[in-house]
Amino acid sequence: MTALPSTTAQSGLPTDPPTPDGPRRAVVVGGNRIPFARAGGPYVRSSNQDMLTAALDGLVARFGLAGEQIGEVAAGAVLKHSKDFNLTREAVLGSALASGTPAYDVQMACATGMETVVGLANKIRLGQIDSAVAGGVDSTSDAPIAVSDPLRRALLDLSRAKSTQARLAALARVRPGHLAPAAPTTAEPRTGLSMGEHQALTTAAWGITREAQDELAAASHHRLAAAYERGFFDDLMTPYRGLTRDANLRTDTSVEKLATLKPVFGKGLDTPATMTAGNSTPLSDGASTVLLASDAWAAERGLPVLASVVDAQAAAVDFLHGREGLLMAGAYAVPRLLARNGLTLQDFDLYEIHEAFAATVLSNLAAWDDERFCTERLGLDKPLGTIDRSRLNVVGSSVAAGHPFAATGGRIVATLAKLLAEKGPGSRGLVSVCAAGGQGVAMILEAA
Amino acid sequence: MTSGVDGADGADVPAPDDPATLRTDVELPGVPGLGGLYARGVAASARLAALSRLGRASDRLPGVAYVVRGVRADPDRLTAYQHLLGEPASDALPAGYVHVLAFPVATALMVRDDFPLPLAGMVHLANRVQQHRAPVLGEPLDVRAHAQDLRRHRSGAQVDLVTEVRSGGDVVWRGVSTYLAKGVRLPAGRSGAETPDAGSGGGRRGGRPEFVPPVPTGQWSLGADAGRRYAAVSGDRNPIHLSRVTARAMGFPRAIAHGMLTASRALADVGRARGDAFAWTVEFAKPVLLPARVTVRVAPDLAGGGYAYTGWDGRCGALHLHGTVVPR
Repeated sequence: MTALPSTTAQSGLPTDPPTPDGPRRAVVVGGNRIPFARAGGPYVRSSNQDMLTAALDGLVARFGLAGEQIGEVAAGAVLKHSKDFNLTREAVLGSALASGTPAYDVQMACATGMETVVGLANKIRLGQIDSAVAGGVDSTSDAPIAVSDPLRRALLDLSRAKSTQARLAALARVRPGHLAPAAPTTAEPRTGLSMGEHQALTTAAWGITREAQDELAAASHHRLAAAYERGFFDDLMTPYRGLTRDANLRTDTSVEKLATLKPVFGKGLDTPATMTAGNSTPLSDGASTVLLASDAWAAERGLPVLASVVDAQAAAVDFLHGREGLLMAGAYAVPRLLARNGLTLQDFDLYEIHEAFAATVLSNLAAWDDERFCTERLGLDKPLGTIDRSRLNVVGSSVAAGHPFAATGGRIVATLAKLLAEKGPGSRGLVSVCAAGGQGVAMILEAA
Repeated sequence: MTSGVDGADGADVPAPDDPATLRTDVELPGVPGLGGLYARGVAASARLAALSRLGRASDRLPGVAYVVRGVRADPDRLTAYQHLLGEPASDALPAGYVHVLAFPVATALMVRDDFPLPLAGMVHLANRVQQHRAPVLGEPLDVRAHAQDLRRHRSGAQVDLVTEVRSGGDVVWRGVSTYLAKGVRLPAGRSGAETPDAGSGGGRRGGRPEFVPPVPTGQWSLGADAGRRYAAVSGDRNPIHLSRVTARAMGFPRAIAHGMLTASRALADVGRARGDAFAWTVEFAKPVLLPARVTVRVAPDLAGGGYAYTGWDGRCGALHLHGTVVPR
């Protein structure tokens, strides 16, 4: 038995333990993602593990982490094959990181990426680890498909069959009807409504107009395009499979062009249908990672520190019985986060609200500026008020970039951390990401 | 064999005016199989149809109640039922599953030679359940079923099948199923008369206000095999639910969903907010032709204090069912 390398033994020990005054900071060093593709696009044959490994290796290359043992890597996927029971650990083993790097999977629907950042940042703050990689990946192109029970039983018998006759007998039991696959959908299991139909109910309830949605969607594309033009994503992205930019980005789109699209959600309601493919996120493939660390760990390696993870808050709402919209949990998470940190909604330089749909962002904003919502549902004295829209999703968001479910949190955290670093010390950013199941996660980042 | 006097049926039920409120309990050795009952029912229905044509339809219900003691739920069937309906797979029996357990006992009563209405083609108009507590897996249950309140309906005759489920002598669950036999003419002057819109769930066509679909909260996707799947967990293999061919033989263009499948799905959608003791009602309107997408609203009923639910066809706006679940 050979002795373990000294780095393995040493790296388990925090180099700057928490102070008596409280936990130390957890900081965002940087991030890396692969460009997001549209479903059926250039990543059509790429698995979740392929894409997560690619994003991870890009991060390792950018920060010179090859052969390093990281405290922990946490990532996840929303649409996950049963064979990927150890998705993140397998990605680590296939990456340039030291194989002694522990890894685990997290799954919180579209908030998966956010939750990996929250959990790992907390471990760093508590002194349990010094460094971490948070991430997420999703493929709607390579999504798992379940087969019918009769087909599954026949296939299992086939695999156990010893003779040609037995194999034929197993195959002969398969009927055409058994071949119908059960592909994952974005339908909520308990309501049977797709995410778009759920948002359409919320959109109608808040009276969000088609024009407002198309404006937000056009801005998302234009801002993302401008960010690419100024090279903003150069140190946040590694090209993959021929893609160098998010495939969904339409630099030449406009409010006029978006206005020509036919509505796809909310057509059965008695209010005008306003949600189109243009102001909704497309099904996407992609992966993202974020490098988190203690200040000391980053300093030892001469790595930059973009922002600190100040605090985070999850919330969930009852969307089953018409009490609240499926994607409105962020509207509840944010005020709790503000209260705990003694901040108002206006105390931020930048806001990142995940554009599951343009209408999701607008519904959240409308709710925060609504007296009745804020007093009755949030229990506040007065509305949270409005925000300066020029500070919201300043380099575009999911409508333009795409939304590989679990990868969105990592995209947003790395993007906002860099934006805050550009703004300068003390600048503050707020993130809110909604998720299936009526959940949401909000987070405060502050430039380091 | 014992004789029993029916207890009060609850304030929402008109006083029974059947000639025989005194009924004799007939104890059956076990829960009868529904397959055999349907076969007998079809044969009896032909005989009743002939009598009806001759103007000799009876207006008297059987003077007996059927009793089966020591009925127990089967764990595998319970699990399959809970998975299909979206109920938590706990050891507590969903109220719809208790209906499934007890249903053959009531059906056995309806295929008796002296039951005046034909089983074949019978339409389930409404259902009311009072659950005092949820029976649990392994608990021996005594089931008693009788028919009451045979009365006229604008398009035939209707009757209530009352099923009580007891544990240790206490009623834990009581269900009243209202059925319509279309085209059956009860003798004129028959008391009970027409009760088209009575709370007991008579026919709802006459004078019913136009149905305006509310804001939905969900949608049920019921495949072409929904009837077969519910039949597998409930044992109710009434041919109108099984396939297009068998449904056509009974006068429907396609297989129709079991009413209790939709009502039980609504009960599951209410979730744990219903508590352990509740009243659960449903009135069925237009049958759900399979395959179907039923748009639903399941939401707190501010007027009633519990939950109200409605299911309708999202495309044509036709009402399929509506009801309430009120915790007690």
